[in-house]
Amino acid sequence: MNGAVPTTIIVAGLALAGYALLNTARNRRMTVPMLVALGVLEVLLLVEVGIVVAKLAGGGRPASLPTLIGYLVAIPIVPVAAAFWGLVERSRWGPAVVAVAGLVAAVLMVRLHQIWPVIHV
Amino acid sequence: MSEPVAPAEPVASPGSTPPPPGSARTGPGRLLVAVYALFALSATARAGVQIVTKFSHAPVAYLLSAFAALVYILATVTLAVGSPTARRIAVVSCSVELAGVLAVGTWSAADPATFPDATVWSGYGSGYGFVPLVLPVFGLLWLRRLATGARERSASPRVGARARRWSRPVRRKSRRM
Repeated sequence: MNGAVPTTIIVAGLALAGYALLNTARNRRMTVPMLVALGVLEVLLLVEVGIVVAKLAGGGRPASLPTLIGYLVAIPIVPVAAAFWGLVERSRWGPAVVAVAGLVAAVLMVRLHQIWPVIHV
Repeated sequence: MSEPVAPAEPVASPGSTPPPPGSARTGPGRLLVAVYALFALSATARAGVQIVTKFSHAPVAYLLSAFAALVYILATVTLAVGSPTARRIAVVSCSVELAGVLAVGTWSAADPATFPDATVWSGYGSGYGFVPLVLPVFGLLWLRRLATGARERSASPRVGARARRWSRPVRRKSRRM
């Protein structure tokens, strides 16, 4: 069950990155569907953060607690920062920023698993 | 130098103000600043945690992490500000970054005992998908392109039109040519 959310995030992040890069290649600006996709990614990431916080509240502890807390704080910021930074750029490079955010979301899930393997079980 | 200094650039709220003339921030620079900001944040956080929690475990690696973090912060800010002075500093910080990733990458391969724990730059940035190795190269290419682009634009309007397709048109007050 818990593995489903990070897996979904990885797939969604990579799909968003691919879609955004396509827009960059076709010289398109950031569009509303891309913002919606970032919103969906944000919700998924918040759910994942909730799952991890619940594990912490349940008494589980990772090897490095400060690192995990850093990740929990940083993870929800990624789509928000990408939406902001991509929107102010009214060129093909707006979607390119969104593509990076999608890739980062996927990588963060893999790193989260390395920091605390229990959350994937 | 002699050029008029732009009124203090509000670094805290980039994007809320139009970019200054000759900004490195727009176009591909936008992407570059985003990735640099990401690395500045992650390197700073990582170095901070390492130094605070277990400095004696691998002091050399952690100090290098902290140094890398500072270089990333400097590169992010100077690329985002994009004034001529900031761009010169950006060239230096990107060069230091490239030299650092090459030196630390070689050092960590030759003397793994000094690096019981990884830095951003060890293994030529392999822990970060070699992005630390590629990023300064793109940074320097972009800065060079900005410099030559500015020169060519003033010489030939057609080049300017082509450059504008790649990055948002920026109102350019001729400052010092």
